[in-house]
Amino acid sequence: MSDRTKEQGSGLPGGIFGQGTPTFLTTKVDFVVNWARRNSLWPMPFGTACCAIEMMASAASTHDLARFGMERMSFSPRQADVLICAGRVPYKLAPVLRRIWDQMPQPKWCVSMGACASSGGVFDAYSMVQGIDTIIPVDVYVPGCPPRPEALIYGLIMIQEKIRGETLGEHAANRAEDPDQVGRPLADAHEVAALSGPFGNSTLQNRASGLETGIPTERPKDRAP
Amino acid sequence: MSSDESSGYREAPLPDEAEEQETGLVSLDGKDQAHPSVLGLEERFGDAVLRHEVVAGDEHVVFVSPERAFEIIEWLKTDPDHFYNYLSDLTAVDYGSGRPIQVVYQLYSIPMRRAIRLKVELPLSELEIDSVVPLWEAANWLEREVWDMFGVRFRNHPDLRRILMPEGYEEGHPLRKDFPLRGRFSRAEQTRRALAQTPEDYYIPADYGPGRDFQVVGWQEVGGEPVPLEEDSPGSANQGSAEEDADRG
Amino acid sequence: MSKKTVELEVSRTPEMGMDFRPAHGVLPPVDLTEPVLRSEKMLINVGPQHPATHGVLRLVLELDGETVVRCLPHIGYLHSSFEKLGEYRTWNQVIPLTDRMDYLAPFIYNCAYAMAVEKMMGVEVTERCKVTRVVMMELDRIFSHLLWLGTWAIDVGAFTPFLYAFQQREKVYTLHEAYTGARITTSATRIGGMMADLPEGWLEGVREFVNQFPQTLDEIESLLSHNAIHIGRTQGVGVINGEDAINCGFSGPNLRASGVPYDVRKDRPYYDYETYEFEVPIGEHGDCYDRYMVRIEEMRQSCRILHQALDRLPDGPMNVDDPRVILPSKTDLMNDMESMIHHFKLVMEGVKAPPGESHFSIEGSKGELGMYVVSDGGSKPVRWRVRPPSFINLSVIPKLVEGGLFADVIMVNASLDIVLGEIDR
Repeated sequence: MSDRTKEQGSGLPGGIFGQGTPTFLTTKVDFVVNWARRNSLWPMPFGTACCAIEMMASAASTHDLARFGMERMSFSPRQADVLICAGRVPYKLAPVLRRIWDQMPQPKWCVSMGACASSGGVFDAYSMVQGIDTIIPVDVYVPGCPPRPEALIYGLIMIQEKIRGETLGEHAANRAEDPDQVGRPLADAHEVAALSGPFGNSTLQNRASGLETGIPTERPKDRAP
Repeated sequence: MSSDESSGYREAPLPDEAEEQETGLVSLDGKDQAHPSVLGLEERFGDAVLRHEVVAGDEHVVFVSPERAFEIIEWLKTDPDHFYNYLSDLTAVDYGSGRPIQVVYQLYSIPMRRAIRLKVELPLSELEIDSVVPLWEAANWLEREVWDMFGVRFRNHPDLRRILMPEGYEEGHPLRKDFPLRGRFSRAEQTRRALAQTPEDYYIPADYGPGRDFQVVGWQEVGGEPVPLEEDSPGSANQGSAEEDADRG
Repeated sequence: MSKKTVELEVSRTPEMGMDFRPAHGVLPPVDLTEPVLRSEKMLINVGPQHPATHGVLRLVLELDGETVVRCLPHIGYLHSSFEKLGEYRTWNQVIPLTDRMDYLAPFIYNCAYAMAVEKMMGVEVTERCKVTRVVMMELDRIFSHLLWLGTWAIDVGAFTPFLYAFQQREKVYTLHEAYTGARITTSATRIGGMMADLPEGWLEGVREFVNQFPQTLDEIESLLSHNAIHIGRTQGVGVINGEDAINCGFSGPNLRASGVPYDVRKDRPYYDYETYEFEVPIGEHGDCYDRYMVRIEEMRQSCRILHQALDRLPDGPMNVDDPRVILPSKTDLMNDMESMIHHFKLVMEGVKAPPGESHFSIEGSKGELGMYVVSDGGSKPVRWRVRPPSFINLSVIPKLVEGGLFADVIMVNASLDIVLGEIDR
């Protein structure tokens, strides 16, 4: 994650429109491209557990995700723009999630739906990934267990807002992927440890079986780049 | 278990707590209600039936010896007077601190509307027992789960391998009491190992070993090697080997 | 491999040149291999990320043409270590885990767990609580079957029933929310009672739902039951006879579709189910269509039970009057030393179950749902085990699909009504 942060600060020198200040033309092109992008997002529903049911409810008649240009759930990652990771992700599923993310073409965004996908939730145990942000980059975290459909829709609108604010030059820098990093964890070892160390109530779950961790229990101050 | 509670309340118990614990909410009167299958078991198998308990009012638990467990279960299943034709559940319990692991068979007889629970105690040094898959196909996955979670081996099981954890899981058997809640490796190591595995690696059928994988057959290039179809969808199980195909062709 | 020499001739077309001669002369003869005509089995992988596997199930299928020769299901992609986590929580803290296990019928799982612990402790819940739980469980049976119906219809190629079903599900969501505050993860039961008494007007809401629901069900059924495509894709597909079904551990609607009248509500009645009037629908052929019909009919029977339960719901306390499991009232707490001690004990240590164990089975929406709890006298379970109905139902899928067509795999999988959260636990 730290490498990404650096890149985002400077911007890639070889972006589509270079590093210069936006001209009239590129501003307008930005506007048109972003308008088109944000209103025809194709979500890739990576639904595993309870959140997937709420995701289905958001796509069904009452909440109707199609109002926001997302009626086409793309079950193939090759034609998707937004990965909605809905539900808990065990380690056994982690390579699958990573593979799906790698298969999605740029530009792509990721919504981490629900407590389990964002932080592991109540499942602070041996088989669970403690937050998918250790594996793939996440743009929007939707809290809740599970989030209501309104919350998911709000999260997707936030993705749209994020797209609105991106210029094409920045975009190339922000979303550049290091080919060497494909298939690798997003966070490095100490970051994974800090993100997934026990905290809050879970420290009370100590028992005779022996919970041993030498990891500092604080949460990172700011996960955003 | 209550000893590791940290509330410190134990010093001042209620005056009548001891009685409450004893009179309890569990009635042990059920022992009088004779369970026909328990009587039948004791009569027929004698020494192999180690003891009999009644728990939670009306649930009969019979401890049997591991050597004759299969024989006893087979008799319970086939004997027309008992006819426990439905394997309701098969699981195991680890009480921790070196005590033996109990394998629990919950049997039910649909025609007789009668349930019985058999328990087999296996010492940690010798976690092996006969599989009941020959009796019930339902036991297949249940026994695999017990193997995965507790490390109990089932003899004559057709396909005993991990079912819930990944095939190459190295941290142990998670539901043992000596297994820490968060696993034995650090989170970073767990993440690294998880991502290092290829989704296709596991669970290719055993006789689909290298060399027997499928090949795309059709027009082939002149003089060249046959070209396996490249497919990179997330779950493609395509690991072709050219030589084998050429041999068979 | 035989080769044959082919001399390619280029026919003349006007594009080739002004004088109709080929632009680059006659092509030299080339060797082309003859097509090799032989058949091989093909390995196809479905899942774990696939819209028709209802979660993260993975099926590896060996195909001979379109016929399934072998099917290897792989599960565990959603293994969330529920049973291990349960050993680290107090008896009441396990309840929020139960509804995350089967998120399609959360109330049934809440109730099953609470019942098992109550049986182990010998706590007899109040009459009002019993009837309330019956209402909840039957409501969630409909709730779960509705989601199954919607996804089943999508798998068969019809989209409309999904929308109809979700319209009705939203009403149940609202009822869940009115009582517990959560749409899916209800966590409504406690050992010895419920989280709260029923809110005002809630029963009328249930009654309203039960009154209007059969019309929608009829509508959905009219779209599917006599639909030629639906019948063609489901009748005679995935057949299993009663004897095999018992041997394979089938339970619930899947078992009853094979003609075995085993329903825990009738065979081992709990909560006075023997006094409710309802029928247990039985199938005849044991195929996908029968499983569909059994579930449709079960929803109607659930409506019948709901009507009776709503009529007989008594007044009175919801929670059992037992200081070991239920917090004393606020008035007692302020005035009575003993109640305060009970309160303190319950809050600090949680419910303490005497040593013992219990295996309690109820009829869940997917099949026989057993909860096996073992206590050693502490405030946490030694073992909390769920007899997962869809785990065992799913283990039969190779038997059902082998020898059938590839397209039928999807229907068989849908007809089993699995929920991966509970299969993998």
